[in-house]
Amino acid sequence: MKEWTGVLRLDLEERLGKTVAKNVYFQGALKVMRPVYHDDSGQVCYYILNPGGGYLDGDRYQLQISLEKQARLTLTTQSATKVYKTPHSHAYQETEIFLKAGSYLEYIPDPLIAYQHARYKQKNVIRMEKGATFLYSDIITPGWSPDGERFSYDTVQLINEIYMDDELVSFDHIKLNPATQNMEALGFMEGFSHLGSMLVVGEQMSPDLLDRLYHVLYSKTDAYDVGLSLLPVKGFTLRVLANSTQTIERIFTECHRMISEEWFKTRPSFLRKY
Amino acid sequence: MTDQALSLFQLCDSNFPTGAFSHSYGLESYIQEDHVRDQATFSKWLHVYLNEQLVYSDGLASHIVYEALENEDFQRVWKVDRMLNVQNLPRETREGTQRMGERMLNLVGSLYEVPVLLQYKERIKEKRSFGHPAIVFTMIGHHLRVPQSTTTLYYLYSTVSSLVQNAVRAIPLGQTAGQKTIQEFQDALVKATEKIENLDEEDFGIVSPGLELSQMKHERVNIRIFMS
Repeated sequence: MKEWTGVLRLDLEERLGKTVAKNVYFQGALKVMRPVYHDDSGQVCYYILNPGGGYLDGDRYQLQISLEKQARLTLTTQSATKVYKTPHSHAYQETEIFLKAGSYLEYIPDPLIAYQHARYKQKNVIRMEKGATFLYSDIITPGWSPDGERFSYDTVQLINEIYMDDELVSFDHIKLNPATQNMEALGFMEGFSHLGSMLVVGEQMSPDLLDRLYHVLYSKTDAYDVGLSLLPVKGFTLRVLANSTQTIERIFTECHRMISEEWFKTRPSFLRKY
Repeated sequence: MTDQALSLFQLCDSNFPTGAFSHSYGLESYIQEDHVRDQATFSKWLHVYLNEQLVYSDGLASHIVYEALENEDFQRVWKVDRMLNVQNLPRETREGTQRMGERMLNLVGSLYEVPVLLQYKERIKEKRSFGHPAIVFTMIGHHLRVPQSTTTLYYLYSTVSSLVQNAVRAIPLGQTAGQKTIQEFQDALVKATEKIENLDEEDFGIVSPGLELSQMKHERVNIRIFMS
């Protein structure tokens, strides 16, 4: 097996009301900036950096994040993940996340930008204990291409597996294949170019909250199309099709805000990056 | 044709009461938005549903389960049952399929005495398994010694033929248009079965975004004739 292009390990614990690092390790083309505390809640925020500036042919990245009981983390990236053309083998990233009971992870990476002839596979495996809370989102966007093609990347494959107390409770598998599929056809991207997905798992989820989220997010518009549904465990998944990152981010921010306010009586911090 | 295949035909009949007539798997959302309105647009949808969702879920599951039954690897069967359920993110299709699986299991349980059916039923009762029509169908196909690829092909056929009946009622299409669609799909079904045989377990559960979105959106459809 080829070596990793970048490795990142982040183990956090709660100490006197504040989430602090137990172990931080990174190597190669992945690193984290020093922790930021956006407010006095004790929740820590880490920004992931890709010093290489983008994912290239055959790149392989591995992340492992673990939160002890009551630890609270906002994890994001410093900028979009750019995947460039991969003539020989696809770029790959795997992330394994361990969440102990009472911990909270919001993992909100910037969009993935897949350029011409890019092939990318990403696998997130989340192993949580009952009573942990997990909020995740991702956005797939097509990168600029010289001949103006709307979908010039070859494939983007995203897998999310969630285990609760060692039992698989959600399996999400998207594989967009513009190299062999007609993305403009019915059933694929429905005329849109960007796909956003959000996954939330938490004991406090209720059908009533899903209804309220729907009423806030739904609008009769050509700008986006949105669907949301309850998972077999307490939680939900949300998909958005749109033509811009901003449209999807606005929807995710709204969802994130409602969940933070209702479940934790907090407001999400603005993630200043540029 | 063997008598075994004839026995499996009974489960392919769209009158076989599993509840398939009340599920559209998102088709109804497309009909309401007028994206599916005649035989041609329905046929487009059905191709996408077959090739971009069904092969990676029910189809691949049937293929794996048959092999697992051959090897008496029952843990693998129960694993596939769980994966089929949890990869189905739209709640209505997930719960609807689960109900169909249970109903089908009860019905075939009165027709066939197969130990693995009883075990499946027991596991569902204990909430250790969920129930899925593709698995029940494959258990019977295997029990009847119908070959693996034929079992998968017939399962796909039964799903497609139920969906055509549903489209005839919902769009609506004429009965002749419906039968023409089924006839036209024979080739697509054979190709889909070949595709499944060449899939890897890593391909399990792939779904195209539009189809899945339509299944999620169906929860919010007010006037409806289908449960999903």
